[in-house]
Amino acid sequence: MAETAAIHRSENANEGWESVGENQTVTEPPAGATNTAVASTPQREWGPIAANIAGKYGLLITFLLTIVVFCLLRPDTFATWDNAEAILTLAAPPMIMAVGLTVVLVMQDFDLSFGAMIGLAGGAVTTFIVSDGIGWGLAILMVLGIGVVVGILNGFMVAYLGGNSFIITLAMGTVLTGVEFALTGQDTVFQGLPLDFLDIASGSSILGFNNQIWIALGIIILAWLLMDRTELGRYMYAIGGNEEAARLSGLRVRPYRVIGFIAVGLAASIVGILMISLSGSYSPNGGATYLLPAFAAVFLGAAVFRPGEFNIPGTVIGVLFLGVIQTGLIMLNTESYVINLVQGGILIAAVLVSRLGQRA
Amino acid sequence: MNAVSAPLKIEARGLVKEYPGVRALNGADLTIEGGRIHGLLGKNGAGKSTIIKVLAGAVHPDEGEILVNGEPTSIPDPHAAGALGFAFAHQELMDVSNLTVAENVLLGLGYPTVAGSLVRTRAMRKQARQALDRLEADIDPAAPLASLSVAERRLVVIAHGLAADARMIVLDEPTASLTDSEIEHLDKVLRSLRNDGVAIVYVSHRLDEIFNLTDEVSVFRDGANVFEGKTAELSRAELIDRITGEKISVDVEARTPHVVAAEAPELLRVENMTLPGVVENVSFELKAGEMLGIAGLVGSGRTELMRLIFGADKSSAGEVYLRGEKQKIRTPRDGIEAGIVLLPEDRKGHGGVFTFSVRKNITLPSMPKFRLVGPAPFPSARREKAAARELVQRLEIKVPNVEHPARHLSGGNQQKMVLAKWLDTGADVFIFDEPTQGIDIGGKEDVYRLMTGLAERGKGVIFISSEFTELVGTCGRVLVMREGHLVAEFKGESITEETLVGACYEHDSEAAA
Repeated sequence: MAETAAIHRSENANEGWESVGENQTVTEPPAGATNTAVASTPQREWGPIAANIAGKYGLLITFLLTIVVFCLLRPDTFATWDNAEAILTLAAPPMIMAVGLTVVLVMQDFDLSFGAMIGLAGGAVTTFIVSDGIGWGLAILMVLGIGVVVGILNGFMVAYLGGNSFIITLAMGTVLTGVEFALTGQDTVFQGLPLDFLDIASGSSILGFNNQIWIALGIIILAWLLMDRTELGRYMYAIGGNEEAARLSGLRVRPYRVIGFIAVGLAASIVGILMISLSGSYSPNGGATYLLPAFAAVFLGAAVFRPGEFNIPGTVIGVLFLGVIQTGLIMLNTESYVINLVQGGILIAAVLVSRLGQRA
Repeated sequence: MNAVSAPLKIEARGLVKEYPGVRALNGADLTIEGGRIHGLLGKNGAGKSTIIKVLAGAVHPDEGEILVNGEPTSIPDPHAAGALGFAFAHQELMDVSNLTVAENVLLGLGYPTVAGSLVRTRAMRKQARQALDRLEADIDPAAPLASLSVAERRLVVIAHGLAADARMIVLDEPTASLTDSEIEHLDKVLRSLRNDGVAIVYVSHRLDEIFNLTDEVSVFRDGANVFEGKTAELSRAELIDRITGEKISVDVEARTPHVVAAEAPELLRVENMTLPGVVENVSFELKAGEMLGIAGLVGSGRTELMRLIFGADKSSAGEVYLRGEKQKIRTPRDGIEAGIVLLPEDRKGHGGVFTFSVRKNITLPSMPKFRLVGPAPFPSARREKAAARELVQRLEIKVPNVEHPARHLSGGNQQKMVLAKWLDTGADVFIFDEPTQGIDIGGKEDVYRLMTGLAERGKGVIFISSEFTELVGTCGRVLVMREGHLVAEFKGESITEETLVGACYEHDSEAAA
């Protein structure tokens, strides 16, 4: 494996500190044995470096190339400011969702309930405003509160009661959809939402971009700070890397895992509210379509920057990549089945590529 | 298969295997013959594992050849190695724990079937039974592998080799985590296999085993064998010199144990610690600056006792006092806050975060010390690096820089890394659970030195080990645990390997305290 090469060259500086039988993650070259003069032959330098770049930035490069190709193929429609805004607007809700999902995945927990949570958030905010006559500001706060409570419930059952996160959140999703239907009576709502509320997502502001894009950007920055620049984020990565070692190092593992589920619940609430605000209407179970794209984007993101590790910058690239491909293929008049094939194929490729990165 | 018809001779000649910047093998030779137990020694990274991987078909040498009974032979993949009759029992047990014993013994050899597809369970179990009988292993072929002890699993791996008609069996650190009686049984099995003409390659860091069991030894250093000869003609000191390549003796027996002054103040007191069926009513105390050894067989409750004291598991009764003050310890976090730290036995599983760099591992328990400004929980990577660098230097952790992935460290350096993260946390009691397991001789010496250093600085050190010579050479006082009870206490001159072993097996109970 070419990627291991770079690592092993640097190891050479100190001999004998790579265990062999003991260290099962290191399979290939066991040990700094002897220093050899051959090591610094120039031809040998480039392979590993190129492989390293390909491993870390392969997806980013592919993403940029994809944009260039679409721009060349459709210079009049794709390569425009309006299109850029359209793509970003389309990408904003899945972006928020994927960023929230990254937090829980970093700790090796799964959350499959957020699709239903988005639907519940949409149904709840509509019902609160239209049927119950609650002011939209308060309605939003209440829905965010529901997201937090759902996150706490998921987290408590998984981290404290030891439930399998996959099954618990799958079941929770079903419960949430039930709550949504009970709340809304499964009626589609077309009117009654105040204009101010509709402006939350689509109102335009700085640089002519709509609010939705700025909200997503704000959440990206917050999540990036949280995961990569705070102690909390470090602890979360430690829990994902080795939960028992983290616990024996004195970390409070269970509360942190609950926080991960709260992040997902909050993100889903925000996406549900934006979904209603943007369309101005509610239809039942509107969140289900967010489930796969969000997972797809986060796993794509684990193939870039820090291969094999979920990370916020990677997730951002993952979401944008999927968005660009979808818009670009639509502009090329591709049939919708092709879009499915391409998006699915890219996800599979990316996940496998990031596995390679992990093994190195 | 009974005695192998032709005496087997495997020769590796001039093997070279180069990875970018590293020569893992540098002209290595090795001759292995049927009917002999061949010890393979060398520091971690000396090339032992690479040459085994070449024989297993997992690594292809750049130069050199392998002769089997004089015939040049290539081993392109593990399947070819199996066809040659080579079997490998790795340190990490390579077996499938959700299958039964019989399914594991015959794994990859073709199960007996009806109509070419339905497995005949009974016939399969019978075949497995035959292989297990040769090992005198009383293991039910129908039992799920997961229900077996580590020792039994190792026997299953060997039975797999027998069922495959193996002519050469390679065992990599086979006795790690086995008890003495299990080791004795394994030795018996290996000797009987040798007498049947099977070639046995035995990799171990434990010199006692090498001297006890092997007929001949090869010592590897820097990718080549630097010595090959009869075990009987070697002294312990000579062998150590060959392994290290230096004329210094690092034998533990030559060390002087660390003795604490009688008037030193009490640091830790444990009273009536109990976890029913595991740890029964254990009380002891530890003085400041003392190095206290804990001896006992695997399963005697020594690891569990320490986990209770530290807060890794919850006890049902018992108290922990630090400097006379009663502590409430229910989680590891409580233990750490009270000033107790644990370096766990399972270094890989519990010791470090191996997706992290060395720096992030070292700073993990004390992140608030490295904040950018004031009390805001934003870590400063610069401060972290400075602290990590200082600790890496102080403990002589061999790593090119602190951002290096922790998973690439050797066992000894991983152990030092785990220690490094606790060193500056103000902890008073350091519990080391099997800290030298799987570490080469030079690394062990470093670990002893670090432990003694802590004791000299007034810390309390608790040292759990299965290698009693280590305790004899380093501890001023040793407690012995058996079946969950504290059964004996030895001090000073009375600490010998014989007294400790005796107390573990209840042979010599008049020494019990």
